[in-house]
Amino acid sequence: MDKDTILKDLSDEELAADTAAGSCSSFEELISRYSPRLFYFLRHRTASDQNVEDLIQETFLKAFRNIDRFDPKRNFSTWLYTIAARQAVSLYRANKAKKPSLVPMASSQDPQEIVIQKQESQNLWILAKKLSRKEYKTLWLYYAEDMPIKNIAEIMKKKKVTVRVLLHRARINLAKKLDKSVYSESFAGENSAEHKFSFSEIGEI
Amino acid sequence: MLCSMHKWLISRAVDSKKQIPAFTKRHLGRCDSCRKFTQLCGSLKQRFAHDTTAILKGYNKAIDQKIISALPEIKESRSTLSRQGVGPNLFSKRTFLVPSLVAASLVLVISISILFLTLPRSSEVNSLANMSDLFKRAYPVRILEKAESPLEKEYTELKETIESTAKFLISRLDVRLGR
Ligand SMILES: [Zn+2]
Repeated sequence: MDKDTILKDLSDEELAADTAAGSCSSFEELISRYSPRLFYFLRHRTASDQNVEDLIQETFLKAFRNIDRFDPKRNFSTWLYTIAARQAVSLYRANKAKKPSLVPMASSQDPQEIVIQKQESQNLWILAKKLSRKEYKTLWLYYAEDMPIKNIAEIMKKKKVTVRVLLHRARINLAKKLDKSVYSESFAGENSAEHKFSFSEIGEI
Repeated sequence: MLCSMHKWLISRAVDSKKQIPAFTKRHLGRCDSCRKFTQLCGSLKQRFAHDTTAILKGYNKAIDQKIISALPEIKESRSTLSRQGVGPNLFSKRTFLVPSLVAASLVLVISISILFLTLPRSSEVNSLANMSDLFKRAYPVRILEKAESPLEKEYTELKETIESTAKFLISRLDVRLGR
């Protein structure tokens, strides 16, 4: 059995423990497992691709630097996503201070990018990107990562009930986007705003 | 307002993998919007699972190489810190706490084994019988029986539903007051 096959058989937590013991190839395996997932977790409509790439890089380097602090009895994905979420908050705050630097990612005119965008347009995640950042991230952790509410709350620094409300709100808004005609009727009397609830305790993430 | 509450209870049922409450089920019989929302909630898991696989295939792996090329430098600085005795490795939980815990557990296991071997068997049986007797006297209705009774279960579920709905409504009220 070659080295790559052995690494692929190891759990995330075992790979993290190996990394702490000095193995770079174990961390490379973790990068290959998580970079695509982190990319789509962080790739919201308000973030440019360059910002997302920087965030992924920063997340992995921070994780590598602090791998000794990771407890292998805990869930590695929760730990890594927590770092990514913190990095995203810092970048968002920095960008907010500079304001004009928040570049919407759809501005690219690259023909290859246009082809990818067309292929992706049928994907539900593309529609989900139109939701608020917090709703999108909650959906990603819940449906793409299949994470329990408890872990999502830990990553997003929220109460469990807040995560449930965010998930619910995401579903409602997604339903509206999927079938505007049906859903707009049932909400017309309640509130015409896109996000009708805004909880004071739901901060930025 | 009513539809909002029912939709919240539908979402909650999906997340907690529990049944939709009976009064929401009755509402679904006459509300098209809530019925469509239930169908959507039920299908999201499968749809997102499919679309996640599809979207991850389109990821450009070039960025991984950039990260990997930066690792040796960080590894070097980490080992330098360790050599200087200020790295987290030296006094990390794993190197310090784990051996102490293992030693403590070993002492505990040995002590219990010695106690177990020295005690006569009859006294052990007697003490277990006494404990069981005491338990029966303290809990005339077994806790398990109580927990499993349908009435108790229904009561717990109803209590949870009301609590959850109240939290949801309070959150909404909170927003209106905050505006
Ligand atoms: Zn309804």
